[in-house]
Amino acid sequence: MFKRVPQPPVNPALRDVERHDFWPGFAAALAGVIVAFCGARHLTGVDTVGGSTAWEIQLVKAFSSGGVQYASQIAPPPPPKLDDPAAEAEALDRWAKQQANATPPKWKVRVDTDAKTPCPT
Amino acid sequence: MECPVPNCQEREPTALGRKLSRLRPWLQTGFLGIWLAPVGRWLHGIPGCVFHCYSCPLSSFACPVGVAANYAALLPAAFEVPYLLIGLLLVVGAVSGSLVCGWACPFGFLQDLLGKITRRKVALPGWVGYTRYAVLVGLVVLLPMILGFKGIPFENQAVSICRLCPAGALEAGVPYSVQSVLAGKGWVMSWFKTGILLSFLAAALFIHRPWCRIFCPLGGFLSLFNRLSLFHLRFNPRECVECNLCRSRCSMGVKVDQQVNVSGCIRCLECTTCGAIEPCFALPQNTPVEERQK
Repeated sequence: MFKRVPQPPVNPALRDVERHDFWPGFAAALAGVIVAFCGARHLTGVDTVGGSTAWEIQLVKAFSSGGVQYASQIAPPPPPKLDDPAAEAEALDRWAKQQANATPPKWKVRVDTDAKTPCPT
Repeated sequence: MECPVPNCQEREPTALGRKLSRLRPWLQTGFLGIWLAPVGRWLHGIPGCVFHCYSCPLSSFACPVGVAANYAALLPAAFEVPYLLIGLLLVVGAVSGSLVCGWACPFGFLQDLLGKITRRKVALPGWVGYTRYAVLVGLVVLLPMILGFKGIPFENQAVSICRLCPAGALEAGVPYSVQSVLAGKGWVMSWFKTGILLSFLAAALFIHRPWCRIFCPLGGFLSLFNRLSLFHLRFNPRECVECNLCRSRCSMGVKVDQQVNVSGCIRCLECTTCGAIEPCFALPQNTPVEERQK
């Protein structure tokens, strides 16, 4: 015998039967099917590393595999280090000019579809 | 407290209720084959409908909560609407409400199993269920968005739903940490997250489904559909003998004797053992016109 939890007396006759109408649930389910279908065919406004536009499925996959790259996170190339001090100074000067003339990337965020980092967080 | 209901102890569970009760753990186990399928790794582009970390080495679908938080964090860089996620959750919610919580969610199943270890349980007040919506709005939508506007990508956000999630700690943090320990590199999961996991496991012993009842944003969202979903529970007053079995069987603390299609319900269907509450599916011809007009 299952142990009963004490409860106040109930009056079944006064209680709502909680019958559901078909149409609100059907309309919501139909809307869901349409939205999901659109989502599966949806090209996002985010580019991939390869240059094409990412599908929504590729974007979702990138979330789980560390494939979302932000322009603000792309580090500039490190300054050159050479054995010859004269050559290093020249290379450093060239590197500084390159950095000064470098234009910021046109994209803010992009998707690396090949990323496979297992746990980004 | 003495139960004031006169024939409280007399009624036995119905055959359907007993059958559903026996079937549920087997179905929950069967669903693990879908959520933990190693061959299904390519489905990471599709959000699932249950709470299951996509960083888990065996996960087949993407975590809907993680996907929503990532979309929120992405907003400053790119305005994108998660159509696929919204559509899938809308379909699942409209058809079954929170049925997936009780019958398919692997994290819920784990909590069910942990809850069987100890018999003594702490009762929670009903209002704790509203914190799920605070988690949904605060941790899943607003916080990642605000930190995203500050230029911090979701992966680098120190506080986020994924950083605090015990499912992520258990399903991804532990396997990768064990792998790292075996490789001689030490425990990689943060001690804070490890502490969250241990606290959650301890809580699950003494509170039935603590995550689902207090924190789960996905369960909170799906349970919003309980009042209109096609699958629902119906009270049959002619069958009710006030035996008190429905409320006694409910481990989620729902006042089943008053209303059953509420947001605190995970639709485990244990309350159907009394016979007065019946699982049913709304069909166009199910509701007579005069009853709809009432």
